[in-house]
Amino acid sequence: MKRLRLSRASAPYFLLVPGLAWLVVFYVYPAIQMFLVSLWTGNITEGFRQTFNWSIYGESLSEYWPWILRSAEYGGLATLFAFVLGFPLAYTIAFKGGAYKNVLLFLVIAPFFTSFLLRTLSWKIILADSGIVLGPLKDAGFLPDDFRLLATPAAVVAGITYNFLPFMTLPLYVALEKIDFRLIEAARDLYAGPWRPGGAIVGGAVGGLLVAVVTAILGANPLIPGIAGAIVGGLIGTFLISEAFVRVVLPLSLPGIFAGSLLTFIPAVGDFINAELLGDPKSQMIGNVIQGRFLKVTDYPTAAALSFILMAAIIVGVLIYARLLGTEELTGGAT
Amino acid sequence: MTEHDRSPIATPLDRRTFLQGSALAGFAAFLAACGTDGTGGSPSAAASTEASAGASASPGELGGTVNFANWIGYIDVDDDNTTHPTLDKFTDETGVTVNYVEAVDDNETFFTRDLQGPLSQGLATQWDIFVVTDWMVARLARLGWLEKIDTANTPNFPTNLLDQYHGRSFDPDTNLAAPWQSGMTGIGFDKAQTGDLDSLEVFWDETYKGKLTYLTEMRDTVGLAAIKLGFKPEELTEDQFQQALTEVDNAVKAGLVRQLTGNSYVDVMASGDAIVAIAWSGDVSGLLVPDQTPEQDFQWALPKEGGMLWTDNMVMPKGVVNKAQAEAWINFYYEPVNAAAVEAWVNYVCPVKGAREVLVAEDPEIGDNPLIFPPDDYVARLHQFRSVTAEEEQAWSEDFSRVLGL
Repeated sequence: MKRLRLSRASAPYFLLVPGLAWLVVFYVYPAIQMFLVSLWTGNITEGFRQTFNWSIYGESLSEYWPWILRSAEYGGLATLFAFVLGFPLAYTIAFKGGAYKNVLLFLVIAPFFTSFLLRTLSWKIILADSGIVLGPLKDAGFLPDDFRLLATPAAVVAGITYNFLPFMTLPLYVALEKIDFRLIEAARDLYAGPWRPGGAIVGGAVGGLLVAVVTAILGANPLIPGIAGAIVGGLIGTFLISEAFVRVVLPLSLPGIFAGSLLTFIPAVGDFINAELLGDPKSQMIGNVIQGRFLKVTDYPTAAALSFILMAAIIVGVLIYARLLGTEELTGGAT
Repeated sequence: MTEHDRSPIATPLDRRTFLQGSALAGFAAFLAACGTDGTGGSPSAAASTEASAGASASPGELGGTVNFANWIGYIDVDDDNTTHPTLDKFTDETGVTVNYVEAVDDNETFFTRDLQGPLSQGLATQWDIFVVTDWMVARLARLGWLEKIDTANTPNFPTNLLDQYHGRSFDPDTNLAAPWQSGMTGIGFDKAQTGDLDSLEVFWDETYKGKLTYLTEMRDTVGLAAIKLGFKPEELTEDQFQQALTEVDNAVKAGLVRQLTGNSYVDVMASGDAIVAIAWSGDVSGLLVPDQTPEQDFQWALPKEGGMLWTDNMVMPKGVVNKAQAEAWINFYYEPVNAAAVEAWVNYVCPVKGAREVLVAEDPEIGDNPLIFPPDDYVARLHQFRSVTAEEEQAWSEDFSRVLGL
């Protein structure tokens, strides 16, 4: 009997073994290696030596903080846009999808059936200076002839948003789908009506801010488009957002928002493909710097140090975010 | 012109990202020799080299495999874009199967990904032979990571190697690197949009703001900037390098330059997003012209101020597994008929003696192709980036990466 109990008690730990072993071999060990590499000095022709050169962390950080900041900015914007696009999408699929739920979900992940690189490359064709999007707009006189989207920060942010949209949408969907619709009905029974003043203010603020940010990164004056965005956002807020949504649906979807934004933000900050293919020299991200240091300059220590700095920065950022959003509510909401 | 007409589908996205040249004594003389003789060459020369080819083909039962890493679009392809006729012929003659992989995207990446790990630990790499640019050969030689070619096994090499390639600074005994192709860096442009161009000034011209691309290859982009400033890339000093780099940086900062790219400038031009590019000589006629729309007219020009010249080489890594097979391949390529077959497709400059005669005999017009046979006035304007020390290489590539926004 005792034996049986022991094995039962230890069963969960045995179940951890494969996953842990995998992580130790393919993550922990290389990470330690990489950490040791970051403390090397030397160059490729004369060889590298382990000198425990800790100063490299200070040097890399003081030299490359603008790139880290830019990556956080692009990653943050992409996460925000993915949320703005993904939430209505997930909401519609979860509550109005009906018989088409599975088809719609499939469509959300359908782009993943093609290679990441191919999807991003196809953007170059779609967004070409006189391609199918910009060409007609220029011909019609809506845009100046020298306007371009490719090789701009806007294209980088848009590319990241597109590539990570499913990572935002799916967790949101899972959270929303679990919400018991009777709770919303109960809220309505308890006189939850349209959220007019709140909706107008929140909608206006969000709409105005988003449009202003987009026009600013496109390099135009954000004032007038921002006001237009605020008006549209305010109208949407006034007529479409209900109190039941604000008080029931949104709080219950917080775990999805939390998971989705992390799943989007973390890889987005480290992304380099979008900046490489859709950006210009002024919109390169920290991932491009790391890649360049490894592959072009063969300065392995700096590349390794930057990887660790980025990792630390993301962990700190995520901890702050988790604190702000309240982890208790997350675990409470998930059950 | 049939043999250098290509099927439009035979255009890979990325032909090559990284092509360069460094010290290569007397190369100009070789190009001059190529350029002056416009007709046929001497049939007897072709005949005699054919004879030697026949003799060297005798170890026909060699068998085995050779793992060959090359750049994209750097060898002949049949009309269906499925097989490489020259490789098939090699297999027929020697019984050696070629595992031909377009694995070299750029020199540095290939070095880091495929070579540095095993070679730094004294292990064999997965490749028996691969093609890299002069300066990378120099680095590998400096590190002692190259296997010598046993020239007793290669009757055609260096016998059929044009004299000007013998005894280069990084390969004094001509037994480390077998040149594969040489090429030039100049102006690629859409003539329909720009009219005729012949000056380096175009790369700093406000007219083409946002419609220009530079190369991510330091020796090409900085080399051209140095020529523009009146410096000789052969004798570039630290100060001149920094001035040339600043010239490049200013254009990037001012937004003149849309992007710095590897070989993908070809795509950027094809879509019309760039109309002027720092371009490699063979790419425009080989990759852009076959696919151009009726509104496009892609051209390549060697700037009147001068352009860059580079050479790519076949080398064997230290501890090469299939050495005999790799040497058999080098020997095979150095038969003029075989080199000529590759040349007619790739449109670069061939380092093999007698290939010119074979090509001209098949198609007299090919002698007028300045990309394959650069004429005198080209030769006079071509420069090679000087060889650099290990410290300079590190420092300059770091400085250049700033321009790339990294």
